[in-house]
Amino acid sequence: MIKQDLNALEEKSIYIIREAKLKFKNIAALWSMGKDSTTMLALARKAFLGKVPFPVIHIDNSIDFPETYKFRQDLAKEWNLDLIVAQSEIKPDLVGSACCGKNKPETLKKVMDEHGFDALIVSIRRDEHGVRAKERYFSERDKDFKWDYKNQAAELWDNYSSKLDKKGHIRVHPLLDWNEIDIWSYIKQENIPVNPLYFSRNGYRYRSLGCTHCTVPLRSEAKTIDDIISELETTVDEERSGRSMDKEREMVMQRLRSLGYM
Amino acid sequence: MIVKTVALLGHKDHGKSTLIGSMLMQTGAATQVRIKEAEAYSKKLGKPFEPAFILDSFHEEREQGMTYDTTRAQIKYKDIAFSLIDVPGHEELIKNMISGASYGELAVLLVSAKSDEGIRDQTKRHLFVSRMLGIERLVVAVNKMDSVEYDESVFNNIKNGLIGFINRIGFRKEDVDFVPISAYNGENLVEKSRNMPWYKGSTLIDAIYGSFENARENYSSGALRIVVQGVIDQERKIIAGRIISGRLEISDRVDVLPIGKSATVKEIIVKGKSIDAAEVGENIAITLDNDIGSEMRGNIISKVGSGPRVTDTVNAKVFVTGSIGNKPSVKFNGIDVGCKGISVLDVIDTTTGEKTEGKDAEALNAIDAKITFDRKLPVENYTVLKELGRFVLYSAGEFAGIGIIED
Repeated sequence: MIKQDLNALEEKSIYIIREAKLKFKNIAALWSMGKDSTTMLALARKAFLGKVPFPVIHIDNSIDFPETYKFRQDLAKEWNLDLIVAQSEIKPDLVGSACCGKNKPETLKKVMDEHGFDALIVSIRRDEHGVRAKERYFSERDKDFKWDYKNQAAELWDNYSSKLDKKGHIRVHPLLDWNEIDIWSYIKQENIPVNPLYFSRNGYRYRSLGCTHCTVPLRSEAKTIDDIISELETTVDEERSGRSMDKEREMVMQRLRSLGYM
Repeated sequence: MIVKTVALLGHKDHGKSTLIGSMLMQTGAATQVRIKEAEAYSKKLGKPFEPAFILDSFHEEREQGMTYDTTRAQIKYKDIAFSLIDVPGHEELIKNMISGASYGELAVLLVSAKSDEGIRDQTKRHLFVSRMLGIERLVVAVNKMDSVEYDESVFNNIKNGLIGFINRIGFRKEDVDFVPISAYNGENLVEKSRNMPWYKGSTLIDAIYGSFENARENYSSGALRIVVQGVIDQERKIIAGRIISGRLEISDRVDVLPIGKSATVKEIIVKGKSIDAAEVGENIAITLDNDIGSEMRGNIISKVGSGPRVTDTVNAKVFVTGSIGNKPSVKFNGIDVGCKGISVLDVIDTTTGEKTEGKDAEALNAIDAKITFDRKLPVENYTVLKELGRFVLYSAGEFAGIGIIED
């Protein structure tokens, strides 16, 4: 995996996060308590003089890991986050991608309507998935959260789109350029707190964190951040290989994203 | 590791996505999962294995065999990583091509050697646009050499057919390489092909690598220019912006344009820390000793008396992608600015590079135009400082082209 220049990545992300905050009236960020969205919050603190300047939303289906809830509580306090917990209800008849494609976007829609958010920062990266790699830094979603991926706005020269249909919103992707190994190198450099589930216990660790129903740990002996970085330098596996919904059918990520999934 | 960006250019179906897919496989950058997935989908469509599917991730792209939107993938070679930017070749998707290619530092142009393909309008138009986007170095990959029995004369004909145009639109001879390849078979990409012994030059990846090695560094003039994003702390009047040229120190006397006020820099904060001086490329937060007000977005901060020119009228070259109407608007350093008028001085045929008679700005042509904005803006000529010399054109809210300020 290619390790990029952290300073350049950091500058670009700070620029994008500032653009987003200054362009929109009412912006929020999604925080899953995972490594990426937590890194994004660390970058937002750097951009805004030590304080995350927007509310952070956790779409909580009540089946996240206990470690994840503890991490949420501790960091929200330490970083003085304006945390919005959006409770979603798990329906027993919806599993896997049907669950992610329906519950999460619906709950998100509800919380965005309630608060009138016009933009949402989402910490996806290009190297995670081919479909995510097709995203812009600023990406339009219509009122039904649909992503019109066949007709995306032009985006160049640091002039990001803020075109909104009346009830739609803009997804902002400040981490698009980062690779998984860059995230870990930055976490190490900046001493950013992370969920303990990322580290190996009894020969397994979580490389990508979702809820308890759909995430499985992968075989790994990486017990420290340095171990994780060396593991990633040589790995031939996909980051999301422990996320069961990605594997159900072909093209599931495209379907999920076109439905409003993050 | 240093990452350099490489934009793929060329007419549809000349092999851009296939080339990147093959490069990812040959350099070991594509995971087995993604290769297998591309294999399975090729099979499902009843096609031979298509390396382009590693990039083309939408099912529409795969089923229709075309790239809809730009994407990127990285490979490593020696001590440099390359971020390969794929773009669509269809002319109706030119806005996506521009979005992708705008991030390129170098271009690789694909031209198919097949007798019914060859040099096409989009081949040349992409080159024209890439020059406007500021790309200075070019590798022309003559693709599908396997389909013409690796015939040297086909390669030479394409080379001779393009070189005049390439030079006319402003690429320097020493900045252009030609490499005969087969993207699908992986020939002359990373390893030399045995089927083209007549070709003595570098493989494609060595040509790309070499052109970055020989790159001239583009230092800006050094005059301080900060693009202001806005005020991030109303109480303490902290201004956020990015230094696009020069260096800023505490106690510098600065002008804020076009507002037209002067002030002294009191404090500079970079990534949360107070520092004495900041450099080009840094995103800064500063306080001044004079209240400039809160409506600062899009202003330029410079050293006192040495700022950019402030004007409401510019002469610009504009590549037109759609109807521009009488009163387009532009995005310029993050702000939206209306235009009072735009008058066409010349029309440039982007497939020949030649100026033609005409006053109509038709899509896919370029124009020399005089544009009057509805307010005064701090601008520089594109050749002096690109960030202050370029804009994105919109008409009725729709993307309509890109422009560079020439005077």
